[in-house]
Amino acid sequence: MTEGHVRVDNITIEFKGKQGPITALAPTTLHLAPGSFTALIGPSGCGKSTLMNAIAGFVRPASGGITLDGREITGPGKDVGVIFQQYALFPWFTALGNVKFGLKRLGLPKAELHDRAMAALEEVGLVQHARKFPQELSGGMKQRVAIARTFAFGPKVMMMDEPFGALDAQTRVVMHDLLIDIWQKRRATVLFVTHDVDEALLLADRVCVMSQSPGRIIRDYALDLPRPRSLRAQAETLLPIREEIISLLHPSHSSH
Amino acid sequence: MSDARQTDRAARGASGLAAGLTGAAHLAKPLLSFGFILAIWVAVTAAGLVPEQIFPAPLSVWQAAVEMAANGTLGNDLAVSLRRAATGFAIGTTLGVTLGLLTGRVALVRTLLNPFLTLLRPIPAIALVPVAIVWFGIGEGSKYFVISYTVFLTVWFNTHHGMQYIPDIYLRASRSLGASRMREFVQVVIPAAAPHVFAGIRLGVALAFLSLVAAELSGASSGLGYRLQEARQYIRTDRMFALLIILGVLGAVVDLVVHWIGKKLVHWQQG
Repeated sequence: MTEGHVRVDNITIEFKGKQGPITALAPTTLHLAPGSFTALIGPSGCGKSTLMNAIAGFVRPASGGITLDGREITGPGKDVGVIFQQYALFPWFTALGNVKFGLKRLGLPKAELHDRAMAALEEVGLVQHARKFPQELSGGMKQRVAIARTFAFGPKVMMMDEPFGALDAQTRVVMHDLLIDIWQKRRATVLFVTHDVDEALLLADRVCVMSQSPGRIIRDYALDLPRPRSLRAQAETLLPIREEIISLLHPSHSSH
Repeated sequence: MSDARQTDRAARGASGLAAGLTGAAHLAKPLLSFGFILAIWVAVTAAGLVPEQIFPAPLSVWQAAVEMAANGTLGNDLAVSLRRAATGFAIGTTLGVTLGLLTGRVALVRTLLNPFLTLLRPIPAIALVPVAIVWFGIGEGSKYFVISYTVFLTVWFNTHHGMQYIPDIYLRASRSLGASRMREFVQVVIPAAAPHVFAGIRLGVALAFLSLVAAELSGASSGLGYRLQEARQYIRTDRMFALLIILGVLGAVVDLVVHWIGKKLVHWQQG
């Protein structure tokens, strides 16, 4: 896998405020290796979603540049898929219609479009619910549809913005397994934004920690551990990192 | 028959009755309101407080309605008025939705048209009648113009504002899924704005009926609005009341139909 190399070089992001521009992201550099799974963790409002939105092409950096496989990212497009916390499914389409929407740009014949959309839904275990509308599905099912919709058209890079943040603990565990399973098959480059330390440690090859706003990356951990992971089985490696990240995120609560 | 069976049956009977009651309750409230007003009406007219010619009794109004139905004017007036309202509504809605989608989506069109259209909104339909007569004469054209103008402004306004409230996340999702601007417009923007568009269309229907009467003041020889004018000349308040009630019922029925169609088309809006 040589595609899906993201280079974020020294970007800053500003938003317009009432008293001049507000810095949402201090100069930040982040390189994502092709096919890697990186978790980005930080306190709320630190700019982790802003960084993700910049890679997705929704926000333009004030300075610095972002490239994907050497080409600059100037706007949202087919190479970077996005999974939103609020699912962002279109309520006027069925689950199947939502998946088809992402596939349409491929210009497939009707039957093949249908088959590929159904295959994508099968991958996330939702074939029986293909004809249902999003509002008839549970939160976990909605996010499965969103995952199927985005992975189906084969983006090289996948931005996930706290995708399981609105789900209950049990559903999350199931979604983690599902996500790792699909990612291992597709090998897209994943940037996974979360505020849950355990989620980051269980899923990612690499965990980047951001500081309070204006955010910047203050720690970068490589996690070369087999999957499926558990905090208990891999306690020796994971627990010290976990402690460290928690004290970084909540400096005032730390015992040191 | 055993006791158990009997209670079972009684329970079922009771629940059936309850279901019937809740169904009836939907109708009961408006019927109660109409009954209440009718009772006051009967009481006031029966007491002879107001001369019959100024404030007719319900029975006279009913007889006036029957008389107009029997001599054929009512059916003809209804058909003529409905055709005017429907034509004006169709023209106004088509223009309103089209222009609303454009001003909502295209910055240049918005800059050129919004201030002007906003200025037109407070002008009432009846104020347009003289202009309509000069421009279109006293034929059908002036009626279509007045009705479609009123409907157009409301439908445009609602469509335009619906376009402003499309959640950004839908557009982000659409663009990150590689949709072209055209597909985004047709499959994301329009359905996302549809609930607002339908709210505007529903208002447009109500306005079509409101401006119908104003339009028929621009020199007509038939239609419910014309018949009202004619009744004034002969001081036939009984006919006036009958026509006003018919206008009210007509508007309410059409509103219900449009609301029902909207619920079917914009089915994702519930809950």
